[in-house]
Amino acid sequence: MLSLSPPITLITCPPKTTTNPTHASRSQSRRLPSQPMIIIKRGTTVAGSIPNADKAEGRASIDEDLLEVELTQTELRKEMIPKHVAVIMDGNGRWAKMRGLPLSEGHTAGMQSLKTMVKMCLRWEIKLEVEFLFSLLERIINSETEAIMREQIKISMIGDSSKLPKSLQRMISSVEESTKNHSKLQLIAAINYGGKYDVVQACKSVAKKVQDGSLHLEDIDENIIEKELETKCTEFPNPDLLIRTSGELRVSNFMLWQLAYAELFFNQKLWPDFGKDEFVEALSFFQKRQRRYGGRH
Amino acid sequence: MDFRDIAHNFYHFILAIGNLVLQLLWYFLQNIVSAYYFISYRVFKQYKSIPIAKLQYLAIVIESEDAHQTSKVVQLLQWLDSLGIKNVCLYDMNGVLKKSKEAIFHKMKNAKSIEEVNEAVTDHVPYHMTLEFVSYVDGKEAVAKAANLIFVENLKRHNLGGELDYQALLEPHLNQALQIVGCKGPEPDLLLVYGPVRSHLGFPAWRIQYTEIVHMGSLNFMRHGSLIKAIYNFTKVHQNYGKFSRYMYIGKEINHKYIDCASKKHRREE
Repeated sequence: MLSLSPPITLITCPPKTTTNPTHASRSQSRRLPSQPMIIIKRGTTVAGSIPNADKAEGRASIDEDLLEVELTQTELRKEMIPKHVAVIMDGNGRWAKMRGLPLSEGHTAGMQSLKTMVKMCLRWEIKLEVEFLFSLLERIINSETEAIMREQIKISMIGDSSKLPKSLQRMISSVEESTKNHSKLQLIAAINYGGKYDVVQACKSVAKKVQDGSLHLEDIDENIIEKELETKCTEFPNPDLLIRTSGELRVSNFMLWQLAYAELFFNQKLWPDFGKDEFVEALSFFQKRQRRYGGRH
Repeated sequence: MDFRDIAHNFYHFILAIGNLVLQLLWYFLQNIVSAYYFISYRVFKQYKSIPIAKLQYLAIVIESEDAHQTSKVVQLLQWLDSLGIKNVCLYDMNGVLKKSKEAIFHKMKNAKSIEEVNEAVTDHVPYHMTLEFVSYVDGKEAVAKAANLIFVENLKRHNLGGELDYQALLEPHLNQALQIVGCKGPEPDLLLVYGPVRSHLGFPAWRIQYTEIVHMGSLNFMRHGSLIKAIYNFTKVHQNYGKFSRYMYIGKEINHKYIDCASKKHRREE
């Protein structure tokens, strides 16, 4: 799962059975061999860097890049690839400013980095969650419709959609409907999403169930609330790894509840410059750490 | 000139070269040492004048296994006290630090528990340290309790003829309910993680919205210098708390400004 904010949560890959004896995750019991997901979170700006001027227009499609990207996994252990990676795509604005380019160019360049990451996650079956600038989401969906359908990518959206333009709301609904049965990868777009907002809306959902009589007050605990978070649309709602670019050292109200036990990888590179090597570095970092999930005594 | 004279001259020549080399080496070493002390002095001076006022509340996350080392925890607190950092939250997942509270307060004579401090922690005059002890139950479990409290209160109001409207639940309501269930501490400005894993290990999620998170390594290898450096780096960071547009629509600019009412601090990155 790739969570992006305006990294967007993304793509899920087809169910996969993995075993990791060092993990005793709270969420392991809910994890079925399933689609990898990508959740990407955007920082305050969304930007991407595309060295090639043509690519800056976002013309390259996912499938073309899939053919070009050669992924090496020799330094990574397949059984320890995280099931769910969240990414805060920060630094688009700074990238553009450093080059004397308009902000939109930075966002466009960031799209290319996103595409690279999506490709790698498709190949490695990692779920990716991203939070997207909704304009970029619209562009990606429009330009990559064929690839989305061919690669069986399921698109989902989390966040407060009520404030979005109607056209985008309709487009998202349409894409969600048309891809709901896709199973290879799930792309979750977090738009107008906040960690606290997510907890509050979960509490409202729980309250409604109490009001309706389907839930008793005394049954309410953290697990009940967790099931009502917007990430309930995925099989693995809790990221294993959070990547944030541009050197910032905070989660900025992204998936506050879900990131309790996630490994936090803060990278100095600006998002448009974050590529395959940096992603491999992040995964290596994840694999080197001893992970304990909720190992309470 | 016979062979003996040549050898003698050659010997003197080598000696002269050797002396010259040694002298050059000596001057070089002197310069290196001087530069080292000069740089150290500048660095020390720089680190000595850390604007601690920017760090109003500091959180320390410790692996529960390491949290049993009370002496190390106390040493860490003493370092913080000497730096002028008075408001500290200590967290470990299993509540080991809570159990060691008495022992810690016994060693930290000038420290008080956050429960004893009436006024807002970040407002009080820092003549003493304020310590808050937190564990997993103060995180997600506390949010569940706070939500439950809101539901119960609403139900009571409804039974007395009031309106039952759970959809009016907002962040401030949850903030207030968390205070009532005992989660009084503010959002830390900086969170230092001592442990092998670069994760905040379940620190109360509601409180780390914009907290800077720094991994310090294992508590067994903690260093005073590393602590100073982490705090110094924090004071140089600039944060824009949710001030930028949440989203932008290319073609039709819609700027929606979102100001996080819970946080209006700025730190400038130099």
